[in-house]
Amino acid sequence: MREYLFRRLSLLLFMLLTLTAFTFSLNYLFPGDVLTNLSGQVNSSYAQSQALADKYLLEENIIVQYGAFLGRIVEGDWGYSLSSGQPVFEHILLLFPATIELCIYALVVAIVFGIPSGVIAAVFHKRWPDKVINSLTLMGFSIPIFWLALLLIMVFCLGLGLFPMSGRIGLLYEIEPYSHFILVDIISQGFPYGGLAFIDALKHLALPTIVLAMYPTTVLIRFTRDSMLNVLEQNYIKTARAKGLNRRQLILHHALRNALLPVIKQIGLQFSTLLTLAMITEVIFSWPGVGRWLIESIYQRDYPAIQGGLLAVSVFVIFANMFAEFSHTVLNPISRNQAHGKI
Amino acid sequence: MHLLDIKNLTIELPTENGVIRAVDKVNLSLKEGEVHALVGESGSGKSLIAKAIVGVLNKRWRVTADRMHWQGVDLMRLPPEKRRKLVSQDIAMIYQEPSRSLDPTAKVFEQVSESIPEESLSGNFLVRRQLRKKRVKALLHKVGIRDDKRVADSYPHELSEGICQKVMIAMAIARNPKLLIADEPTTALESTTRAQVFRLLKSLNQLKNMSVLMISHELEEITTWSHAMHVLYCGQMVEAGPTEKVFNAPLHPYTQALVKSLPDYAQGLAHKESFYALKGTIPPLQHLPIGCRLGPRCPQAQKQCVVTPKQKKSHGHTFACHFPLLKEDKKCNPS
Repeated sequence: MREYLFRRLSLLLFMLLTLTAFTFSLNYLFPGDVLTNLSGQVNSSYAQSQALADKYLLEENIIVQYGAFLGRIVEGDWGYSLSSGQPVFEHILLLFPATIELCIYALVVAIVFGIPSGVIAAVFHKRWPDKVINSLTLMGFSIPIFWLALLLIMVFCLGLGLFPMSGRIGLLYEIEPYSHFILVDIISQGFPYGGLAFIDALKHLALPTIVLAMYPTTVLIRFTRDSMLNVLEQNYIKTARAKGLNRRQLILHHALRNALLPVIKQIGLQFSTLLTLAMITEVIFSWPGVGRWLIESIYQRDYPAIQGGLLAVSVFVIFANMFAEFSHTVLNPISRNQAHGKI
Repeated sequence: MHLLDIKNLTIELPTENGVIRAVDKVNLSLKEGEVHALVGESGSGKSLIAKAIVGVLNKRWRVTADRMHWQGVDLMRLPPEKRRKLVSQDIAMIYQEPSRSLDPTAKVFEQVSESIPEESLSGNFLVRRQLRKKRVKALLHKVGIRDDKRVADSYPHELSEGICQKVMIAMAIARNPKLLIADEPTTALESTTRAQVFRLLKSLNQLKNMSVLMISHELEEITTWSHAMHVLYCGQMVEAGPTEKVFNAPLHPYTQALVKSLPDYAQGLAHKESFYALKGTIPPLQHLPIGCRLGPRCPQAQKQCVVTPKQKKSHGHTFACHFPLLKEDKKCNPS
């Protein structure tokens, strides 16, 4: 186990190195001045440029520059945003939690609804629950989420007025950002109208979460269903049935455990799609997250911001994948003894 | 009374190109304490019959039978849940791939203790736990696993096929079944373990009076200790009867070929001598010949063989052939 962990972590290290190498190369690949891309300083005077060139070791060869770049990444000096003039790293610290929050809630919703529905569909294979779930899934799977988001806004915000249309929380409440996870912040701060603020925040969360959860939920339903059907065909299920277990015991003790193992891996793989979809959702619902910021930066050709945002998002995806992989290994006795890490 | 009495068991698979009849009107009856062997080439429907008895066949298959009585109760007429209960109480089955028949994510202890019926344990929760542990240990010892602690604490993939098969047998005998169906239990094992497993099944039969329905192609091994033998070819029962009779005086050309195909080491075999075998191969299920399915390969075949032969019985020896190999004295004027 320890060896496995070591291998995994060394693999992680190499993946991160490759990622930073790519990010670093963007400085040269983006149009514009290398120094501007690196530092985010525009229209600097000659003296300033000289100082910056010294700081970024532009006279040295590219390997040394990359080393210095790595050092700055670790220190948290990710350059300055061209559009706001603020440090990129601060932006990310401020915005990323909002995205993660949205993603986590969407994932929780996906797991809570997706896995049981998948199991039900498999257990009632080819009977009406399966057919209903299957057709709903196909529908949810095929709806583009930007269209779904607009439909939901039209019905629930403009039509029924049940939910707010954009933002994280109403203007009435001023929540001191502390952990940047808004629900946690509201609870931890003892805000006088905490309960109301909490409900308001939940209302703001509802629509983006539903929209974002749609895709992973349908994927999880389909995947759980297939995996479960596959497991139910296996010999050991037949043995267990011949052993005299009833249907409930069979499914809970033998089928579910085996069927959910590949699903855990799948959840990890969903993270990259989830973050991509989160960007779209954030733009539509004006959710102040890293995705919207990244898209705005792309519009504004804010190269240091694009770089920083890409790096942060990819690192997060890699870590999430790694975590899913690792928990799969911990839970699966067959792969537990494999020393070799794979991607 | 018969323990198991099956009449005209037919197993069919509906496909787009018509119905495939994989098992055609098979009769089988078994008394308490008897060992029956079901032999035949692979694909002759042996496993299908076993699975149909236990009721774990896929839903794709259509099973019909005039009767399938288990101690006088017709299994075909029972509702599925009741049938499962009855069958799991009295019939146990072991499979040919033991490691794939065990749940890969559960430890052996868990799986064995699961098959111990709840009713057989008394006392409160803690006492039961202890009892269960003891029973699992006893069961593992009984099937010849010495280091029960290590085995009980392992996952199936950490054990050898032989031990997995022993665990399967331990699970099978946990409920003291009246009938054990062994579906080629030794195909995946090497010869020492194979002998052990056979010995184990034999002793279970002798000591506990447990009936065994043995599906196997280990013809030599099985003939020494089975009471009766059923020979299947392509889903048709070609011959059945007491092992001695079937083996020593086969009436059906197929059985004769089967017995002949066993290498006789006492006579001495020439270097690279070919074994005796019928010409041709076993036909695929979608191209079965009409009438007697052995027809195209049969050395005795005649025109009449395009009609399915009726099963004839003489002295407990059943055969289905128009031209059985009867060793009668030739009469001068055959009528």
